[in-house]
Parts: sequence; structure tokens; C-alpha cells
Amino acid sequence: MASSPQLPLADDLFLTAHDTVKGKSLLTPATLGLGLAAALIGELVFWRRLDLVDGKLQLIDDRPTGDPATTAVLDQLLREGHHRAIRDWISFLATGIATDLVERRLSRAGLLIRQEKRGLLGSKVSFVPADSMVAGWPATRIRTFIGRGELLDVPDLVLAGLILGTGLDQHVFLTLDARGRGQLFDQFRRRLPAMLQDLVAHTEAAVGDAVMARRA
Amino acid sequence: MSTTASPPQSQLSNALARDRLGVAAVVFFVMSAAAPLTVVAGVVPTGLAVTGLTGISIAFIAMAVVLALFAVGYVAMSRHIANAGAFYAYISQGIGRPVGVGAAWLALLAYNCFQIAAYGGFGAIAQPLFKDWFGVDIQWWVLALVCWAITAVLGVRDVAVNGKVLATLLVAEIILVVVFSFSDLFSSDFHASSAAVDPGSLVGAGSGALLAMAITGFVGFEQSVVFSEESRDPRRTVARATYISIALIALLYGFAAWAMISSAGDDVIGRAGNEGPDLFFNVASDQLGTAAIHLGHALFLTSLIAAMISFHNIISRYTFSLGREGVLPRAFGRTVPGTGAPKNGSLAQSALGLIVLVLFAVMGWDPLVQMFFWGGSAGGIGVLLLITVTSIAVIGYFAKNPTGEDFWHRIGAPVVGTILLLVMSYLALSNIATLFGVEPGSTPTWVVPLAYALITLAGVLWALVLRSSRPDVYSGIGLGARSATAASTGGGFAAALRGDQESNA
Repeated sequence: MASSPQLPLADDLFLTAHDTVKGKSLLTPATLGLGLAAALIGELVFWRRLDLVDGKLQLIDDRPTGDPATTAVLDQLLREGHHRAIRDWISFLATGIATDLVERRLSRAGLLIRQEKRGLLGSKVSFVPADSMVAGWPATRIRTFIGRGELLDVPDLVLAGLILGTGLDQHVFLTLDARGRGQLFDQFRRRLPAMLQDLVAHTEAAVGDAVMARRA
Repeated sequence: MSTTASPPQSQLSNALARDRLGVAAVVFFVMSAAAPLTVVAGVVPTGLAVTGLTGISIAFIAMAVVLALFAVGYVAMSRHIANAGAFYAYISQGIGRPVGVGAAWLALLAYNCFQIAAYGGFGAIAQPLFKDWFGVDIQWWVLALVCWAITAVLGVRDVAVNGKVLATLLVAEIILVVVFSFSDLFSSDFHASSAAVDPGSLVGAGSGALLAMAITGFVGFEQSVVFSEESRDPRRTVARATYISIALIALLYGFAAWAMISSAGDDVIGRAGNEGPDLFFNVASDQLGTAAIHLGHALFLTSLIAAMISFHNIISRYTFSLGREGVLPRAFGRTVPGTGAPKNGSLAQSALGLIVLVLFAVMGWDPLVQMFFWGGSAGGIGVLLLITVTSIAVIGYFAKNPTGEDFWHRIGAPVVGTILLLVMSYLALSNIATLFGVEPGSTPTWVVPLAYALITLAGVLWALVLRSSRPDVYSGIGLGARSATAASTGGGFAAALRGDQESNA
């Protein structure tokens, strides 16, 4: 199972944040948005388009990535040259933009299907994982690696960090024992670049602020 | 962050602005914790009966003036610090972290007094009503336990649902208070009372008791600054909303209390003693008829429920914030992922509420006077003390960081406000016997100040323990979830980076 394909970070987070049986989101829309916003920014860091320095995003390369979702974020960053604060960008992308981009990317890959639910007050469109097996991949992969005492690669470390930062660990890391946790935390400290540590920490802070301001 | 100063039209600024709150939304939120009927029909008549003092309207007005002065510096400082919703953040940065932690613990106790007081109020008031409506005589503590269960369940569920319900009830309550009070004016017994608005009562004996009663009506106004980073215009929205809330509360409560006292006849204190919370409804009954009275009673009960839910949410978030910063165990910094509700803070509050309810039921203590009124006014004194210390902290903060605000916001209003608040705190503490309607020197008069002193001292000591044993946690106190370094933002990931194992919870 550990050989299951690794998707882009935000896609993996989206799948992890959805119930494998019912396809329902395990997070509030606000918290999911914050996590996906950070994940897309993280992907741009992996693409070597962005750096995060002192809480500000620095554009280091403005060439499109070839992936529509991250390119859309990059374009937006180029258009809004005067805004660079990471917390502003996380909040902005979390207004629905990040969720929308990720849902579309996963739909194109055939991993999500559009589901229309008719209710009393009109119908509600949602995207649910096409296959419950697929939705369980990322979480299973991380647990398997940790269980075997193997090292996670950097994108999976960021994914694990965002799982903690959004509170998803209460679903995903429930079965992790103290030793596994200790190993994971040790990898956060030693193997996650400072820039990405900051990205996850800012996301976690944004999630906390949303709780305090009753937006979560 | 407020660094997004007016660049040309930007999608980002617009999108963020769209999500932000205007003045009305913030006022709404503040008023829902203030629970108008609970104060007007619950606190005021009970207070009349217990203290024998009638100058409550002028006390509301005086309190409003002082709180508005306090709010000048308080709101100004909220623009400069993170985690603006919590008094201890101001105190940590303006005075020092040990006092800040002491204040945080005092705040938890004071807010819990309010929250639990509402259970007693509900039980005591619902018991005769249920007998009247349904012909069943249910013990007050059974009814209170039902409310407790509702609050406990809602506390760990979606908070947004609570918000809509609270908003609807609030509007209905305000309309009802206004209608009842105006109809008092046409009562045959109406005789414009000068005692209720006599400024002399603010300097006479028992003035501290009046002020302590008045502040209970305003508690919740301090929550406006929670939204300083969520508001449309950080410089204006929260400030306006705070002043409007204070003015609205003072006018509504001051007028309603005056109208009630004016139309209650010669012996208002005697009637308040006999009729209790029904006094508010009885004086308007000849104009409005029984249907309005029933509606009033029903809303009175929902008002108490709204108050208990509001304070429950304030407490669970306060606990959440302290858990995130590592001042309380990290487990309190957790939320339910699917709802964003601060789960463990909520559960802890519910546990405490249950213990107190059971204690009152077993000991046979009076739910209306001893739980509702004493609890509420003890909470009021606690909040008054907190506001006073926060006011000093505002002066301290701006003495160290004088940029960005003018003289009036930094020094003028805070100094005047602090002096007045110190006088009020002294009066309130020295009038506890009058406030509680007991003999000077009897147990309740020293238990309340002693409890506050002990819990504050415990908080200070805990901060000193953290300073020597956990300097990383200590340095983050009062900085909220927004500090710049990755390892001090609170939450599970930050704890992981720091190497905390206790985040396993």
C-alpha cells in the first residue's frame, strides 16, 4: 500500500480531510480552506517558485508550473504584487479559491465526482472522493511509513504537519503510538526546512484565530 | 494583518474585506452575551429586593460613561496586539506575564460565576412558570440540569448554529423590553421616579453595590475586540461597535429599570421582595394582557439560556486560547475538527457547572438569590477588577510603545478611566455585604474577594513556575496564535516542533 501514487500536496490533503466511507468533509469549510490554501502555497515552494521569508512570500520564479491550480495561484500573486504577507494569502485563498482549485484538479484526474444533493432549499453541489480506497491513500501511506520507522519525504512531512495544524490528526493519527508520534515530531524538527515549518505554523495559527473569532 | 494599506483595487483586499464584519454584526454579537431580559427582569428586581437600593438607572449610566472611557484605550491597544479577545493578553503585555496569567485565571472564575449563575436563575424562574403552564412541579435543579445538558451539547457542536438562534432571540428580547417599558409609562400607578436616577445614590452608602449590579449588565462588551482583525475598518469598526453597544445597553437597561421602578407604586422594594423577577412583568400586565406576559416569561427563559450559551462559548474559547499558549494543558487547545468547537474547554466548563449545580441541589441553597444573584454579581465584581487592571495595562503598554496613537487614546482617556475604575472597584469590594444583603463580615463577604485573590495568586505563581521550567512557553504568554516564530504559535504542530510530548492528548 505504501507504493500508492503520491498526489500533489493539496490533493492529498483534500482526500485526507474526507471521510473514506461517506465522502463527507471531516473539517469545517473554513478550516479545510485554510489547509488547502497553505498546501497550494507549499506546492509552489516545491516548484521553486516561492520562498517564505519573515512571514512574507517572495517570488523567485514567475514561470507557469504547467499545473493549472498552482499556476492560477501564481498568476494571482503576480497580479497582486503589493501583497506579500503569508497570513493574508492564506486567508485570501481560504475564501473558497483554494478549495475550488483543488476540487477541479481532483475532478480532472477522475478522483472526485460531483454530487448533487436535493434538499428542501434547492440542491447542494459537493465533490466527494470517487473511490474510498483512493481517499484513504495519503493517510495510510503516512501511517505505514511511520509504522515502519521510515523517513517521510518533504511533501509528506508538510502533509503530516497540516494534518496536525488543522486538527485532522484526531481522525488520522488516532492509531499512532507514542513512539510513532515521537518519530514524526523528530522528523518535523530535523528534516522539514524552516520555510515549510513556518508555513505549517502560520496555517495552524490561522486555524486557531478562526476558532477565537468564531469563524471556524 | 493590517499591513494591507489601501493599494489600488485588489482582488485580495476585496475578497478579504467581503468576509469582514461591519459595525452591526459586532454590536449584535456583543449584545447577545449581555442578555437584556436576564438583566432587566432578573438582576434588577432581585437586586432591588436584596440590596434595598433603587438608584440602579443612574448606576447603569455612570458605568457606561466609565466603560466608554476605558474602551478608548482598550480598543486602541487591541489594534496593536494579537489575541485581542482576552484581557490577559493586554495585561501580559502592559504590566507583565505573571500578572497576565493571574488575570487569566481570575477571568475564568468570573466568567464561570456568570455562566453558572444563569443555571440557578433559569431553575428558580422556570419552576413556578412550569407549574402555571403545565401544572407540573419540577424541582429547580432538574430544570437547571436540562439547560446544562443543552448547553453542554451545543458547546461541542457547531457554533454557527448557536449564533443564528441567539441573534433571533436577542432581537425578540430587545423589542419586548422596549414594549414592556413603554407600556409602564401608561400604567395607572406610574409616577416618574427620581430615586432611580438620583446621582446622589452614586456617592451614598451602598453605591458600590449599585455599581456592581450595573456592571453585570455590561459584561460581554469587552468581547467586541475579538473582531479587531476581522472587521472591515480596523481603526473604526470595533471602536464604533463598542461605544454603540455600551450606549445601547445603558439606555435600554437604564430606561427599563426606571420605568419599572416608576410604575411599581410606593413600595417598590417590598414588591420586588414579594414578586421577585415577576415584578418586571407584573407592572406592565394591566396594559398588555396575559398573552404578552406569557410571551415575556417564555423569552425570559430563552434569554437565560442565551446567556448561559454565550458565556459558555466565551469560557471555552478563553480556555482554548490558554491551552494553545501552553498556560493550561495543551489538550485545551484542541477543537472538534468537524465543527471548530473548542471541545475540551467546553467539556471542562460543563463539568464545573455540573458540580456546582449538584452542590446547590444537595445543600438546598437558594437558586435565585444565592446562585443567580450572588453568582452574577460576584462575576460582575471579578470583571470590574479585570477591567481595572486592564486599564492600567493599557497605560503601561502605551508608555512602552507610544507610536501610532494620539495623546487622548494613549494617556488621556486611560488615566481618567483607570482612576474612576479604581474608585469603583474599591466601592464594590467594600460594599459586598450590602450587595449580597448579608451582615457585614459574614461568610459571603470575604469568600468572594478571597477566592479572586487566591486564584490570581495561583496564576502568578504558575507563571513564575513556567518562567523557570518552560521559558519558551513563558515568552509566548499573551502573544496569541500569531507570533512570528514557528515554535510558539500554539497547537499540535508547534508543540511537536518544540518537542512537547503532552500534545498527544
